[in-house]
This record gives sequence, C-alpha cells and structure tokens, in this order.
Amino acid sequence: MSGVHGKDSGLGRRTLLRAVGASGAGVLLSAAAPAAWAAGAPRPASVTAAATGSEAGRTRVHVLVVDGCRPDEITASGTPTLAALREAGTWFPQARSLPVMETIPNHVMMMTGARPDRTGVPANSVYDRALGRVRTLDRPGDLRFPTLLERVRELGLTSASVLSKEYLYGIFGDRATFRWEPEPIVPISGHAPDHYTVDALIAMVDAADPDVCLTNLGDIDRMGHSDLTGTTLRAARQAALLSTDRQVGRFVDHLRDRGLWESTVLIILADHSMDWSLVWKTVSGTRILAGDTELAEHMVVAQNGGADLFSWTGPDAGRSAALARAAALLEAHPGVLSVHAPAQLRLGPEAGDLVAYCAAGWRFTDPYVVSNPIPGNHGHPASEPIPFMVTGGSPLVRKGHTSSEPARTVDVAPTVAGLLGLGAPDGGYDGTARTAAFTG
Amino acid sequence: MHTSQNPHDPEYPETLAQTSRRAVVRTGVLAGAAVLAGGVPAFTPAGQGAAAAAPTPASGPFRHGVASGDPHPDGVLLWTRVTPTDEAVPGSGAGPDVTVSWIVALDPDFTRVAARGTVRTGAGRDHTVKVPVSGLAPATEYWFRFRTHGGVSPAGRTRTAPAAGAAVDHLRFGVVSCANWQAGHFSAYRHLSRERLDAVLHLGDYLYEYAPGEYQARDAVVRPHEPAREMTTLADYRARHGQYKTDPDLQRLHAAAPFIVTWDDHESANDAYDDGAENHTEGAEGSWRQRRAWAQQAYAEWMPVRYEPGETLYRRLHFGSLASLSMLDLRTYRDQQASSQLSDEIDDPDRSITGQAQMDWLLAGLVGESAQWKLVGNPVMITPVRFPSTLNTAELQGLHELLGTTTIDGVPYNVDQWDGYVADRNRVIRHLRDHGVKDTVFLTGDIHSGWACDLPADPLTYPLNRESVATELVCTSVTSDNLDDILGVPPRTASLSVEAAIRASNPHVRYLDFDSHGYSVLDVTAAGVRMDWYRLDERTSPGSGASRTASYDVAAGTQRVRSTGGVL
Repeated sequence: MSGVHGKDSGLGRRTLLRAVGASGAGVLLSAAAPAAWAAGAPRPASVTAAATGSEAGRTRVHVLVVDGCRPDEITASGTPTLAALREAGTWFPQARSLPVMETIPNHVMMMTGARPDRTGVPANSVYDRALGRVRTLDRPGDLRFPTLLERVRELGLTSASVLSKEYLYGIFGDRATFRWEPEPIVPISGHAPDHYTVDALIAMVDAADPDVCLTNLGDIDRMGHSDLTGTTLRAARQAALLSTDRQVGRFVDHLRDRGLWESTVLIILADHSMDWSLVWKTVSGTRILAGDTELAEHMVVAQNGGADLFSWTGPDAGRSAALARAAALLEAHPGVLSVHAPAQLRLGPEAGDLVAYCAAGWRFTDPYVVSNPIPGNHGHPASEPIPFMVTGGSPLVRKGHTSSEPARTVDVAPTVAGLLGLGAPDGGYDGTARTAAFTG
Repeated sequence: MHTSQNPHDPEYPETLAQTSRRAVVRTGVLAGAAVLAGGVPAFTPAGQGAAAAAPTPASGPFRHGVASGDPHPDGVLLWTRVTPTDEAVPGSGAGPDVTVSWIVALDPDFTRVAARGTVRTGAGRDHTVKVPVSGLAPATEYWFRFRTHGGVSPAGRTRTAPAAGAAVDHLRFGVVSCANWQAGHFSAYRHLSRERLDAVLHLGDYLYEYAPGEYQARDAVVRPHEPAREMTTLADYRARHGQYKTDPDLQRLHAAAPFIVTWDDHESANDAYDDGAENHTEGAEGSWRQRRAWAQQAYAEWMPVRYEPGETLYRRLHFGSLASLSMLDLRTYRDQQASSQLSDEIDDPDRSITGQAQMDWLLAGLVGESAQWKLVGNPVMITPVRFPSTLNTAELQGLHELLGTTTIDGVPYNVDQWDGYVADRNRVIRHLRDHGVKDTVFLTGDIHSGWACDLPADPLTYPLNRESVATELVCTSVTSDNLDDILGVPPRTASLSVEAAIRASNPHVRYLDFDSHGYSVLDVTAAGVRMDWYRLDERTSPGSGASRTASYDVAAGTQRVRSTGGVL
C-alpha cells in the first residue's frame, strides 16, 4: 500500500490510493473527496491497519455479481466455492433478471431498487435522440435515480464499487465512496480479468473496509460472448466458471483471514443469464424492415444481443402506422419471439418505440448479418434465470435454506437497505426486500 | 341445486343446527366403527377423529362416502351422495328430493365449527351433493360431514391451499391413476389414506367403461363391473360411478384428503378424442356426442371437482409461492389419434392434443405463473419415447397390447400420447425454452407403469448435451394390467429386458418399471421435488401390503431427474 494523494480529475477532486494487490500488482483506488476516506473505517492515516476486525453489531454487505452466470452452472464440481456458499446460505432458485436482460440496466436495478422507467437505464445500448446516434449508456448522467452507493452516506456509512467493466465504472461514476478504476482492460471485451478485479476487491476491503460494496466479475460473461470457435465453447466456459469460482474463494478466504467473515452478508447473483445460438440462427431487424422504404429510412436499431430496440425518427404523423407495420414484420419473422411497447416491460422513453425479443437459440445482429458473430447471447427472456443467493458468515444469514420467492435483480437494493436500516427512496422501491434470507 | 351456508337461513333445519355435539360425534364414530372392526385402521389425524377415513356402511343415507376436492386458499369443494330410500340407487332416477346439511370444523370432534349450511339434491343429479365452501382459512386442516334425515355421514378430513404468494415449506401429494375395479382391489388407496396429504392427484382412468370379461386382471375378473355391460348411457355411467364409490379403500382415501382430478379416456371410452373413441361404435352405441355428454354429466355429479357440464375441466390451482398445478383435459379437444406411428399425421401442425384455447391457457400459465414449481397434471405422457430394435416377438406383442398399438423399431411408441401430437409438444418445449421457464414437472398417469424422465429440448442432441426443459414423473396403475400381466410372466422378469432396451434407446428415460401396481407420493419443497413409487404385493388381494420401489427427485433449477439412491 503506497499511500494517499489528492488529484483533480474530470470527476472532481478525488483522493487516490495506490495499494498492492495480493498478486503483487498495483491497485489504484479512489475516493470521491478527501473527506470520504475519513468517513471510511480506517481512514487515510490508518489505512494500513484497516479491517482488522468487526465492530460489535456492524454488518458489512458485499454484492458480488458473477456476470452472465446461469443458475444451472453452479454445481459442486464446476463451481465448488459458489455451490458451498449456496448451501451455507439462502438460495432463490426462482430468481430472474429483468428487462432488458443486459448488464448495465440490471446492475442499475440492483443498486437503485427501481425499474428502468424510473432510472432512465433500460439497456446497454440505446438510440440517443439528442445525439442522433446509438450509444452505450455509460455516462454518470444517464442514471437519474439515487443508488445505494451514495444513499448509505445518509447513515454515515461508506460504499465501494469494484467494477470490472468499463461501462459499469462509467455509469456509476463517483457515486460510491470508494472506487476501483478497472485495469488492466482486455481489448475488445472491455473488462478487467477476475483475478485483477478480486485483487482490487481485497485491496478495497483492506484499505477502506466499506459497509456496502458492489463488485462485478466479468470473466464468465466475457467467455460466453467472446469464444467464437463453437466446439470449444463449453470447455472454455467451464474453465471460466472454475476460475471465477476460485477468485470468489480467494475473496472469502481473505475475509475469514481478516476476521471479517462473521460480520459479512454476501449477496451473490448474476445480472443476466446466457443463451447460445448457432451460427446461422440470426435475426437482423434492419434487414427485416428494409423492404419498407419508410421504415428503412426512419427506424433506428439499438442492438442488445437478444433484444433489439427500435426508435422511430420520422415525422410524428406517421409514427403509429409505422410502428404497427414494423411490429407486424418483426413478429412474423422466424427467430423473433415477441415485440413489445417499452412501457409493457417497464422501460422508459430511452428504450425507443419498440422492443423485439429473439427466441431461444437465436440472436439479433444489426445492421448486418455479420455484425454480431458472438454465439453467447442475452437480453431475451431465455436469459432471465439467474443465480441469486444470500450467504456469508453473518449470524443474520439464514443457513441452508431455499426460498421459492421470485427474487429479482431489483430486489437487491431493498434487501441491502433493510439490513442497514436505510429507508426507501422517494416513490419507494420497485423491488422487494428478500427477508426470507435472514433469521429473526 | 340450492345451497345455503348461512346457519340463520330459514331453510337450515333448526334441529340440525342445535344437534348436540355429543350426539353427532357418537353417531359418527359408531358409523365408522362398524366397518373398522373388520378392516384396516384408517388414517386418523393426530390420533383423533376415528371416523375420519372410515368407509361407510352399505345401508342408510350415506353409502358412497364423503369427499372433498379442488382446495383453494379460502375453501374447498365438499361432496357426498345420499340414498334417501333403498330404491334411490345410482342411475335409477328414483327417490325424493332431500335436504342435506353440512358442517365444517377445525377439529375432528366438530367443536370448533367453521362453516355450515344446507343443500337440496334429488334424482335430477343422481342424489349427489357438491358444496363449494368458502370463507375458510388458508393452509388449514378441516373436518366435515353431512347429515340428512336418517343419518350422519362419516367425517372427512380436508385441507385448504396456502394463501396466494405465501411461503410454503412443504407439500405432499398422493399421485394415482388407472384403477380398474375388475382387475383388483384398491389397496393403493388404503395405503395412501394413511399419509398426511395436502391432496391426492388423480390423473385419470378413475373408472373403466368395460363390461365384465372385457378387461380385468390378466384373465381373471376379480370383481365384476356393475352394471354388467359397457357403460354407454347416463344411467350406466351413474351406476358405475356409484359402484366404484362403494369401495372401502376408495372411500377411505376420499375421506382422508381432498382430490384434484382430471379425466383420461376410460371415464368415457377407450382412446377418446373430440369426435369419437376407439371403444365407441357410432350408431350402435348411440352418438358419441350424447355418450360423452352423459359421461361428463355423471363425472360432474360424482366427482369432487369444480366442474359442471359445459364448463372446461382444465384448471389451475395454486399453493402459495411454492407450486401451481395445471390440470389438463387431453380428451375433449384432441384430434383423432394418428392411424399409425408412421403416419405424417403425427407431425401435422394442425392436429392438437389440447385444442388451441387450452394450449394458450397452458402456455400463458407457465410463463405468467409466479409459483416456483409449475406442476402439470397430465393424463398422458409427454416425454418422447421410441421403440428399441432389440425386442423379441413376445415382448413386442406385449408392448403392443399395453399400448394398444403396433410396435415398429425407432418410431414413437404410442400415438395416443403426446408422441402422436408432435407439433403440440414442440409448442410446449419451445415455449419453455424461449421464456426460460424453470421447474416445470409433468405428473402423468395412463400408461400403467412408473417412469422418471427428462424432457429433452431436442431428443437427437440430448445424449450429447443433456439439455432438458422440464421433467416428467409417471405413476403406475392402481390395478390395471401392465406388461408382466400381458406377457403372463412373474413381475420383474421378462419386463426387465424391455425396460433396459427402452432406456438404452431413450437415454432421457431414467427410470422405468413396467410391472408394478400401486401409487406414488410426491413431496414438494423449494429445494426439490421428489417422487416415491410404491408397489402393491398383490393387487387381487384386498389386504395387500405395499412397499417402496424407487425414489427420484428433481433438484430446483436443474430440469433433470435423478435417483435418490437407486431402485430398491
């Protein structure tokens, strides 16, 4: 750990801490402002002595997202650590991701407890009407709803984000008291490998000992997306699962070693699941609409894997008729499961005018047939089921329990808030506190 | 039928309302004790209420037992049949209208009364009584009985369903099908009556239409059917229902737990479909439409089911957040069975086993359902099964008789099942995949054998990827003939090679028992669903014992069956 210094960044004045990860690599952590370190448990002057034990009555909450993991992939042989953690806590086998089943909106739902029509974040990729182009929702200003990460400060508590994906780091901005800027980033995938992410998480615990921490582990998802060989996909995926499982185990071991396990509630879930398509099972929304001159000219597609978001850019007068024609063309096409108005899915205006889902085993590829060569896919209903467990060493955790409650990603915020005694945001939560996971 | 649940209703007999508890209890106990003396002890919840599951006497107004069915969170359907005069036998159309009072209590001594009322019945509905009681508490055990001039019925135990969305730790169901009176005794029902069940799922073939000698235990008619002819008229169907309801073991089970029923074919006629049946000769046996209407009327009258003629039998019941149960009707709307397994008809997308409305209802329920376990009461098997190529002539002939079809290697083995309606099955499988529906379990009867199967997303690729979208657990027959009976060999001999061959050709079939008669018990928790199969020692013996033969479970989220310790 090399100490703390101030830096005036584009995000405003922040404090940086360069720590040494467990593997020896440097880990750069930041705090929103110098005062933030003081609000954290060990505070700058005593950073090296951080996290030496649990104060009486204090509960630490870690939300660990195993990005893109399927619930049936957690097995005693394939992911022994996760399977053991599941057995040691409460598992929700009915858990599901929410529309659109993509990374950014579901992380946002986890931290806000609100659906996209309130958060402003319906998908990874949307058509930005102001800019007139499709872009990723990776800007702090895209998220217009308070998150746990900043709200816990009302209670004098601290938060941290350890996010392996650049766009997640982008959208959550400086909301957390403490943050890790993901590095090194793998080209193309845009994520930091889990080994480095857990290095950072461990450093974060040692340096800041936050009350609430959101961590995203991206390897499983990226292995689902990036492996193009097909024949080796299953083996590669299995290797990624085992690797990530070991990283989770390394983190848990660290908490135990530091005497923090008994005060920790660990919520492990995925943001979405994963479905695989064959090479030829593609749907191009652009091509489907190409035969209709007006649609071809005025309909813009934001591709989100298993979901396409269509925005009408033509004159208002022709909007309704155009959307009706587009919906009819899409619904009639093989591989298209269903077409919805965004409001049906509780998506706000950012989602555009129509949302099309693909069927299981298919994927959208726009604007061209070769635009999306990735076999691993999500965003459509087949990718809704997710693992969701509440575990940890805290005596609050109900051990060895399975609950039929329909847990959702949006339930994380109210569940965590309930643990910490934090009230609901204005307008209340859309999610439900999953109290079945706790004793008493 | 007029019903009243209000004790202050002027039609509610004051004498009944004021009947002393002591008098009623004594009467009930005596009614049960008379039969218990010579029979097997019945299930007695908490050691009380000795009359709870006792069969009724052959005289007096209550000769056909009591029953309950279709539990809801706030109520349950009560059933009985009164015989006001000796002439008023089932199907006779004779006997006066009568008033019957009913009472529901929280205890078997009927000291804590929860609901009571009266109902009128008469020959117009064959003197059957159905009372949809409401206003009860969820997930609660109740006792009930009836009274009319001249007698008090035995008491029955029932249980309401958990409240909507409520957390439920455990559900326990009996699962049965295919009870042929002529093929043996209903010992399976007696053994099940000793379990503390939330409900009994009867998946069809509750009774059979045949005349004596047409279908029995191998070559022996253990007990002849009445009337002694194939049932084709309303009077026949009523009388046959009446005969079955005199069985002491059936009465015990009906009095021990609510039933949730659906029909298969034999409640009307073998291999029924929308416009006919294999065992119906149009003209000589009247019109199929009329015959089926009569069969359905008798079924509505005699079964504890929330169904009346003209309504749909398919329906969905809910058990908190733990489970839903969709009960299918796969006879009323299906197209005629394909002429053979080689026919292109089995793949015809215009042919249906469910009918469009029921399919839409089923699919919508599987996706929209908030409960974890989507249980489907499924009268015929949905798992694809193909004939192996290694069977000898006798084995093929045995399967032919069991399935009522011609066996040809490598083709679907029974086109009366979903195998004969491939497009409909594909709709279900595709829907489960497309919507990521987990924890769907088909609970099935019909085929006189026990099965535990994965439902492959694609049977061709299943051996490579084991991708399964649901599971199917099939109970065996209570008494109806199965493979060893047809082959004329001792149980667990010749059938073993057939089972092994079918499993080898269909690797998604994890368990298969072609020989046993008996029943199953299904336990449901959030962590998993488990079915135990029980085999009768001897179906033709009225006092037959039973023993567990196998147990398989489905862990939550897996869509796969697995043995819990091997076949016993």
